[in-house]
Amino acid sequence: MSLEITRMNPHFADVMPQEYTDLVENGPFGRDFGARDLGSFKELFEEHPMCAGCNLSLAFRIIVASLPNPADTIMVGSTGCNSIAFPQLALHNVHSLFGNQNAIASGLKRGLALRFPDKVKDVVVVAGDGATADIGLDMTLHSWFRGEKFATVMFDNEIYANTGGQESGMTECGEIRNMAPTGKKFNKISVANLAIEAGCAYVAVVTTASPLKISKCFEKAVLVAREIGPTYVQIYTPCPTNLKLKSSESVSLAKERSKGTYQFREHVSPEAEEFLAARAEKTEEQVRVTSKDEEMHSA
Amino acid sequence: MERYRVVPGPEGYLPPAAALHGVELPLPGQGLVEGSRVEGRTAALAIAERLVSASVPTFFPGPLLLWKSTEEALERGRLVREIAREVGAKVIPMPDYRPKYPMIDPAVEINPNHPNLTIWFNKIDVGVFIGVHCHQANLALKIIRGGTSCFTVALCAHEGHEDANASLRDTDVASLTALLDAVRIVKQGGE
Amino acid sequence: MPDVELKPVSTEHLLRECQREEVFITGSEAVREAIRRANVDIAVAYPITPQSESMHLVGDLYAEGYIRDYFRGENEFAVMSEIAGAAMAGVRVFTATCGPGTLRAFENFPMWSGTRLPIVISFMTRGINSPLTIQPDTIEMGMLLDTGMIMLHAENAQDLYDMILMSFSVAERTSVHIPVGVFVDGFFVTHTRQKVKIVSEDVKLLPYDPTHSPVPTMDMETPPFRYMRDPFVMKSNYISYAAHASWQQEVMAAAERARPHIEAHLGSFVEQENPDAPIQVVACGTAVSQGREAVRMAREEGLEVGLVKIKVLRPAPREEIRRALAKAERIVIPEFNRTGWLAREIASMIPNNDRIAAGPRVFGGMTMPPEVIVDVIKGDVLVGV
Ligand SMILES: Cc1ncc(C[n+]2csc(CCOP(=O)(O)OP(=O)(O)O)c2C)c(N)n1
Ligand SMILES: [Mg+2]
Repeated sequence: MSLEITRMNPHFADVMPQEYTDLVENGPFGRDFGARDLGSFKELFEEHPMCAGCNLSLAFRIIVASLPNPADTIMVGSTGCNSIAFPQLALHNVHSLFGNQNAIASGLKRGLALRFPDKVKDVVVVAGDGATADIGLDMTLHSWFRGEKFATVMFDNEIYANTGGQESGMTECGEIRNMAPTGKKFNKISVANLAIEAGCAYVAVVTTASPLKISKCFEKAVLVAREIGPTYVQIYTPCPTNLKLKSSESVSLAKERSKGTYQFREHVSPEAEEFLAARAEKTEEQVRVTSKDEEMHSA
Repeated sequence: MERYRVVPGPEGYLPPAAALHGVELPLPGQGLVEGSRVEGRTAALAIAERLVSASVPTFFPGPLLLWKSTEEALERGRLVREIAREVGAKVIPMPDYRPKYPMIDPAVEINPNHPNLTIWFNKIDVGVFIGVHCHQANLALKIIRGGTSCFTVALCAHEGHEDANASLRDTDVASLTALLDAVRIVKQGGE
Repeated sequence: MPDVELKPVSTEHLLRECQREEVFITGSEAVREAIRRANVDIAVAYPITPQSESMHLVGDLYAEGYIRDYFRGENEFAVMSEIAGAAMAGVRVFTATCGPGTLRAFENFPMWSGTRLPIVISFMTRGINSPLTIQPDTIEMGMLLDTGMIMLHAENAQDLYDMILMSFSVAERTSVHIPVGVFVDGFFVTHTRQKVKIVSEDVKLLPYDPTHSPVPTMDMETPPFRYMRDPFVMKSNYISYAAHASWQQEVMAAAERARPHIEAHLGSFVEQENPDAPIQVVACGTAVSQGREAVRMAREEGLEVGLVKIKVLRPAPREEIRRALAKAERIVIPEFNRTGWLAREIASMIPNNDRIAAGPRVFGGMTMPPEVIVDVIKGDVLVGV
């Protein structure tokens, strides 16, 4: 049981630094915390060195808090701003090369499936738009074609943020960026459409304007990937540093875009639909039973 | 060229990995002292002597000892604490391997990427690593040799460490018990 | 599942004590026979001549139940990352490629070493573009010398069989735990039939044990749970630089630690015939076979010539080469590539390296007739240099 690795050897409990004691005592391992509870438990992602107002780190914080089973989750990142966030994550996570995240995850998931046939090990990929849609596009798509059972999350800041604001395939047509000095000459790539076409069982497009929506969609993506097949969540995470915005302005931008050119979209395959409905029914039943229990206690 | 000896530093700007200069890992039953293969018991006595005579001996238990309390880990943990008590050593954990951001608190923990900070801060003159993955232990050992005068000991569960000033291999409950005995013998003035 | 249950045994037992039978098979089939006994969990394949046949046959092993998972990846860069991901999960992996595939995948190889992955890979060497060629050429080996991986070079199908089987135990040792590349000259060995003694008992290697890894396995079962593989040590300060530098030194040290374990299986890094002869032919791969024939011919003509067969390129056989060539007056290094990387290697290892007569070097798929080597043995003939 992997929860074991989150428990301390009692012979050293007295010398462990406070942050680890906090993680063990107030962390999310084996407990039912979600994005809704942020602020009330010790998070697995903390003290990150990202820029002030970074939307990527906000999205990162939300998805980490929304992991259905962190104690059995291995995350895979890629080179880019996310790889500055990942070292601060209290979970096994891989940084390998720029763009190979879905290939690493394919091997990782298959290896874990062989070693732990009776246990669910969630593999979650989180990478930038450059990593997912440009340099790693073949590996993104092929992991979907092959039906690899893990969730892929794109942090779409429509730019190569980490290397100083160059054009990516996800930049909107006409935008002036480094390496696109006269404006981008082609349309933003619709990775969501590609995902549907490639057979993803669940696809969602969201923005940092609605954190709870990110949380809900992400959780569905992880659960559907476990049972049915590949899933994709694309999150608009505008970069205040490269866009030269104040932090508050970047959230407003996300709000504005979510009403215009970055609207919420969700695709759920019939199989995924059925699975999610059955699951919702089960949870509802659980809720009914618990509230009944409570009623009886209060009576 | 003279044989490379793995002695305490500070060795300089970027000291070599001892393995690249002819230092070989101990064979089963052996240990290493300053880069030479010796009998396991000789190595244990040498380590005991260092621990007993040190001003600030310190144990650095790593993740494999701090987490996942198997019976073996519990027993090894108990023994480490007992040896530490016997020699009056501090216990400073290495809870994980990520470089510490924004800043390490060197009073309470050690990290393989910048172990020298903890050694300097606490003025540690003998440091013992146990329960650290071999790769990370070697990073720490080499960086310490480069920048500090601390005598390093690696109590390895696998094949031992050339980059430590002294090292045991296949360290299990029995070898820790033997080390405890060696410490007691040294304290009483030797065999 | 295979028809018969295979008994797990140690590498030493499998290679030294198990009964063998002599079969007449191609090099590709020798790969299959080695992998049949290797207890591989996952293999990932991508076609490229002359490697493809080997990985087809490995695929057959999957269909027969000898391998637990197998698929064709989308390109070599992806394949090497897929293999890396699987190795990080703590299973035993195998793949193969060559030439353009090697170069396409290149960024992965130092990553494998740096992240301490015990991957076994075979390279069925081939020339690189341009112009396009599928012919044998060892140029890629020179490019891989500094990737951190251990490099063995098979002369023939027997070497190939034994080297692949021994590599898992070398790669997977805690103190080593870096990739091993087993190189073999494409076509010359992969596509020709040779007598090979293969293990005939129903045995396989013991499984890989991820709990012995020198770095945490990525499974959330191994402490510490707070772990990035591999951590960012790229802040702009001395501490970060020193951590990265020490990390690289540790990877080099890992290869160094492999020496006794490679020796235990191969006996030695180099083999020498007629060690006292003033002229020595030094080679690896099939150039050794050509060299051996050339030495025989030259000796028939009354020349005193010896042969040095190099089996291990990394870790570098420095001492072995220095010793083998201590008394040589003239050193001939036949190579199947234009760069002469082996001659460069040898030149960096020995004193008075003006003793080296460069060449003969052939490339583009040209064969290396022993007569050409004899010409160079006899005098300063320029062949391909
Ligand atoms: C093979 C390779 N090419 C280029 C780079 C340089 N590089 C590092 S991060 C990056 C851009 C990342 O962009 P994106 O994936 O969108 O992530 P972001 O930083 O925007 O979050 C680039 C080009 C690299 N590290 N490796
Ligand atoms: Mg980006």
